Amino acid sequence: MAERQRVSPQMRTAEILDFLRNAPGVFLTNNERDLSQSDFMCRIMPQTTLKVAPYRDATGYFAFEIFGGATVHMDLMKKQVNPFEKLRLVRKAMPNTLIQGLCRGKNLFGYRPYPDNVVEMTVRLLSKYIDVWRMYDFLNYIPNLVVAANAVKEAGKLLMPCICFSTGSEHTDDYYAKKVEEVLSLLGENIILCIKNHSALGSPARIASLVCAIRKRFPELLLCYHGHNTDGNDLARLVAAVQEGVKIVEVSDHGYGGIYSQAPALTAIQNLNDYGFKTPGLSIPPILDASDILQRERRLYEAFTGPFHGFDPTVKRHKLPGGALSLAMEQAEKAGLLERTHDLLNEVIEVRKELGNIWVVTPGSQILWSTAMSNVLNGRYEKPSDDLKRLLLGRYGPFPFYDPPEWILKKVLESGRTDGKSWREILIEEGGLQDIADEDLKARRLLLESKLKRPATNEELCLYVQFPRDALDFIQFEERFGQTWLLPPEVWFHKGGFADGARISFADEAGKTHNIDLISTRKTADGVQTSFLVDYHFQSYKTKKGSE
Amino acid sequence: MFKKLLVANRGEIAIRIMRSAQELGIKTVAVYEETDKTSMHIMRADEAVCIGSGPRRDYLNIERIIQAAQRTHAEAIHPGYGFLAENPHFSKQCTEAGLVFVGPPPQVIIDMGSKVIARRVMTEAGIPSIPGTSVLPPGEEGQRIATGFAEKHRFPIMVKAVAGGGGRGIRTAQNMGELEKFVQIGRSEAQMAFGNGDVYLEKGLTNPRHIEVQVLADGHGNVIHLGTRNCSIQRRHQKMIEIAPAFLPEELTEEICQTAVRAARACNYLSAGTVEFLLDPNDNYYFLEVNTRIQVEHTVTEMITGIDIVREQLFVAAGSPLSVTQDDVTFRGAAIELRITAEDPKCNFMPDPGLIEIYQSPGGHGTRIDGAVYQGYEIPRYYDSMLSKLTVYGFTWKEAVDRLRRSLDSFLIAGVKTTIPYYKQIVTDPDFINMDFDTSYIETHPRLLDYQEEVPPLGKLASLVAEINAYGYNPYA
Repeated sequence: MAERQRVSPQMRTAEILDFLRNAPGVFLTNNERDLSQSDFMCRIMPQTTLKVAPYRDATGYFAFEIFGGATVHMDLMKKQVNPFEKLRLVRKAMPNTLIQGLCRGKNLFGYRPYPDNVVEMTVRLLSKYIDVWRMYDFLNYIPNLVVAANAVKEAGKLLMPCICFSTGSEHTDDYYAKKVEEVLSLLGENIILCIKNHSALGSPARIASLVCAIRKRFPELLLCYHGHNTDGNDLARLVAAVQEGVKIVEVSDHGYGGIYSQAPALTAIQNLNDYGFKTPGLSIPPILDASDILQRERRLYEAFTGPFHGFDPTVKRHKLPGGALSLAMEQAEKAGLLERTHDLLNEVIEVRKELGNIWVVTPGSQILWSTAMSNVLNGRYEKPSDDLKRLLLGRYGPFPFYDPPEWILKKVLESGRTDGKSWREILIEEGGLQDIADEDLKARRLLLESKLKRPATNEELCLYVQFPRDALDFIQFEERFGQTWLLPPEVWFHKGGFADGARISFADEAGKTHNIDLISTRKTADGVQTSFLVDYHFQSYKTKKGSE
Repeated sequence: MFKKLLVANRGEIAIRIMRSAQELGIKTVAVYEETDKTSMHIMRADEAVCIGSGPRRDYLNIERIIQAAQRTHAEAIHPGYGFLAENPHFSKQCTEAGLVFVGPPPQVIIDMGSKVIARRVMTEAGIPSIPGTSVLPPGEEGQRIATGFAEKHRFPIMVKAVAGGGGRGIRTAQNMGELEKFVQIGRSEAQMAFGNGDVYLEKGLTNPRHIEVQVLADGHGNVIHLGTRNCSIQRRHQKMIEIAPAFLPEELTEEICQTAVRAARACNYLSAGTVEFLLDPNDNYYFLEVNTRIQVEHTVTEMITGIDIVREQLFVAAGSPLSVTQDDVTFRGAAIELRITAEDPKCNFMPDPGLIEIYQSPGGHGTRIDGAVYQGYEIPRYYDSMLSKLTVYGFTWKEAVDRLRRSLDSFLIAGVKTTIPYYKQIVTDPDFINMDFDTSYIETHPRLLDYQEEVPPLGKLASLVAEINAYGYNPYA
């Protein structure tokens, strides 16, 4: 039998770790989740993912990240896709590749900490599909990862804790090496440690130094480098990381075109090979095939790219990662502040320094950005958000390096208080991490079922406890309209009406072709009457005015 | 053979009759009420006559139907089932107007239409009947007879309207109190429903099987049977599923069939008819009634014998002998027929008239559709809610059940609620598959109603496309 070249979902965690330790060369993870979030506002639809799935599966990636981060909530809100369903489809379409998901520790896929039993249930249910759990805490406060990490181990899945990386005088090799030590002592040694360079920071030399420092103290530790190509320099960084002993690097398909996401797989492979690193198990032709398709598909998502395209070397200063930056720019555009981008980004820099030089990653990036926006619009710290107050109260964890200055604590914590308490009293009485009581899941299930008027599945309950309103809206949407992910993305994002005679053609999950032919659109006094041939059967629908 | 036939009916049976007539080269005339003008039987006929504004009045108007026949020079009239089929005046007036009535002569209809006369005729011919009374006299006397009957035969006791039939006008009393009450209620109900308040009593059998024999008789002294049917699966005495043959022991089958032929002879039967029996758990059978019409479920008999019953009716009506003898009749395989109606089983089988948006019927080997609707047809609320009659044939019972399941699965009807999902439950029910059922089947299997409503998945998607089209953007994206 030929020697194993790549990992498979059938392997146990220990086998995968063993294989990686002993295999020569470097492995690649394709991160479409991050690409969709960074460059296309999470809008890549399952049909696109499924279209290229056979090629990606044949490529021989270490893993394919398709789940987590902001995409869970966005799947429900803007794509009307059940995140579990998406995983099921990807799992089926990519049987030979590990499926990877990203979670924000206790914050899961949201912006605030969840009760332990919600975290445990979520990890347990998702582990049916997810093989590799990448997880981070935006304050690098490792205890925030413990509950989710234990649930991953319990499910027998591969744990990949991250240390979030940034630059500046506090962000030393020594600091990060100590963080790694903390990770190992709290989460155990059977892990892959991920260096999460979400903001595309540091030179190749800086990354080399960091990896070297970690490897020096923990020579047996398997490392993954997750970077972004925002500044156009991630290819050099990932080569540098590999030269110092990183085993897995994250890449993207060149067919999507570089914006803020990962560096292109093909270039990374060429570089790595030229530098003398083998990429075992990887096959180049399917990478080309996938990108041939994606080059055409990406045009469907053009509307969801940010207002500015191209590389952004200034990310070194503002440190906003791709997903945050494009959303930030969208908000700025809506607020009419696009011409003040420079001021806004400068304010982000100021705010970050004032708020402890923390990592600009969710939910921290949202807090920093919205504070900066508010500061520009309303005056500095004049209208603090609840999330900012929570951050200053230490509800997410302690500030890693230093606390914000007293004037900010005073302004923020005392804002809106009617009890006349000083910020010091508030911090003493209310500060710090708080125990969150377990969710009464039985009661929540009853509530959900009373709204659905039918039994709820565990997966539905899981989505509901995390996103009560949006999950319920989604479930009701799905009951009404069915599996709309079957529709081609160009239909889902269609602008304007359809022409008479337009044909919508697609295959269902069983591969059978269906056609919806538009016959006519008739405007009536109280709405619009659309008539179709649905698989050659006449159907007519009335959409009432104002029924949206 | 006559050249033109008027079909005094609507829906699937009208179309079914026209098919046999057209095969014999007979031109067909449809009649319809104004409220039924989009009905499919009109499209299938060679000519059509509107006989009035309706609803449900003109299909019962003997005079207008005979006028329509005369105007179109039809020589014969087939009444189908329901409406005027078992009205002896219709048969009589047709004959008087010089038209051939495709069915038995008036006296047979009168005799067999009266439960009491029918019982007497059968008893005289030595055919076992369920113990019963004659018409109960009014007042004290009637109650006294009822009490005596109940004491002798014990409960349950059925209170039946003399003029009832097809499951209507029947109540089952479990004790003296109920008996007294039901006799009273039965009388007034029968008076209202049938214009005849006479009732009689019959000993009730516990969970009997409903077995019937198809007979054919011509004017040349030939009476033959086409074997048995099991019509036990009923809801409130209305048949839902019919099966042929009844799968009784061979000797019993032969005995029941010969009894049916004797019964037909005893009442001077002509044309196609059905002799119905109840079979108790000990295989004792009792005469129930004779139906003097073509029945809904005749298709199952056609499937297992290969004999076209309507075609034979037309031969008999034209004065010819039956085209087959008893020796020609052989039985092969099993057939199941069910009535797909626009009703909501979950809502107590309430009729659900409306627009048929999608209609796609199954086909293939052994699947027969006697349909009455088409895509785009608006089901009028005035008539019965039958959409289609599905009959399947299988070389064995198992094959028939498999084929029935497959046929139901490939039926696609959207726009109205139908009984299809309910039948789908039945075909996967182990008791049904094992042929373990009697007349209590529906009420003892309430779980058959535990099904999910199916909306064609593509219809849902299309409704979203309609919204995107109407708004000019996807409001959910």
